[in-house]
Amino acid sequence: MRTDQLTAEFETFQGELKSFILRMTASVQDAEDIIQDTYIKAHAKMDTFRGEASLKTWIFSIASNLARDLLRSKKRWPETVTDICREEALGNRQFFQEAMQIRETSPQGKFEIKEHIAFCFTCVSKSLPLEQHLALLLKEVYGFKVTEITLILNQTEAMVKYYLHVSRGRMIEVFDNRCSLINKAGICYQCTELNGIFNPKQKAQEELVKIEMARDAENKTKEELFDLRMKILQELDPFESGAAELQLHHLEHNRQVIENYLEEGQ
Amino acid sequence: MKQMQTNPRAQEGKATTIRKTFSRETSVQNTIMADPAIVWALLTHASDFPRWNSTVTSIKGEIKEGSTIELKSTLDEKRTFKLKIKEFVPEKRLVWGDAQGNRMYSIEKKAGGVLFSMTEKIGGPIFPLFAKYIPPFDESFEKFAADLKKEAETIQNSKK
Repeated sequence: MRTDQLTAEFETFQGELKSFILRMTASVQDAEDIIQDTYIKAHAKMDTFRGEASLKTWIFSIASNLARDLLRSKKRWPETVTDICREEALGNRQFFQEAMQIRETSPQGKFEIKEHIAFCFTCVSKSLPLEQHLALLLKEVYGFKVTEITLILNQTEAMVKYYLHVSRGRMIEVFDNRCSLINKAGICYQCTELNGIFNPKQKAQEELVKIEMARDAENKTKEELFDLRMKILQELDPFESGAAELQLHHLEHNRQVIENYLEEGQ
Repeated sequence: MKQMQTNPRAQEGKATTIRKTFSRETSVQNTIMADPAIVWALLTHASDFPRWNSTVTSIKGEIKEGSTIELKSTLDEKRTFKLKIKEFVPEKRLVWGDAQGNRMYSIEKKAGGVLFSMTEKIGGPIFPLFAKYIPPFDESFEKFAADLKKEAETIQNSKK
């Protein structure tokens, strides 16, 4: 493979790769660094690419290994990440001032509930064990087959199936317990709460009926609701959407809050 | 390493107990149509046990060679068993236990799946003194084996 071929193909899925790494690391800086390092590594090892898998699978494998190296020594986030970060945000005037400024001035500063649903999943899914998190995103959000994930993660098919089964089940349970959009008894309603702050003239209910997962929650099974949640992530590019800057600002806030929280060992 | 003998006369999924003066041994075995790696993953991911296994309330710690786990079971929910992982042979054999006894798990590959066996032997010189306080394991063993079979086969048959 020649450099120009690698570069051309890399560019066709670079956006997906970057969003995958962002959703693994919750850090824009880490995502950008890993994307660069992935390209450099792929270029250096170009001669070893035999085409046994697609180039995309091979590149995702390099990126997954780099993400693993970065994340292996870091603690996983708690499932209650959004509760912890909400408390911190409420006492952080600067956070809201910055967010409001982004909301008012940035072309990517809209607040949309479905964007926040994707953001929320990025935070909560970081509570899964690392290998499960990787496998779940690769399958449910980026559409890789089990056989491709075995190559990306260098795991057996049996282990990948185990990771997928357990992680999917865990996330279904967590969101069923927490998310008030799909369960009236759910304890978290941050997406509608923030919609009230950033879009005060908008009625949350009118927005929610536009989101299939919320609109049809009573008629769908937990499995189907999880698939609809994944569909929201599949359709959103966290770097390119109309809400990207606002959500990335929020994500950076949460990352810093949780890293401090974990460091203090609470 | 002591080999665990599979019992050719054992009924699929039905527990049997052999009682002696100084020991008691309960066993169960069943055929699981799943990859040994899936069965092994289920048996060695400690924190995941309560999700699929109706006989285990919690396991703290990591199931790996030489480590110690804290297990709570439905047999006696008030009690925490501190158990050492004594043997850890991936996809073949797992043994944990304490001074009073050992629990042995064995996975034997066969066409299309595995023969899973589980045996717990408790005993010792003072066993007759406390034997009457230890509840029978048979029902719990049967549930354990059935839960493992159901979960492993569900994962095996999950979409590709």
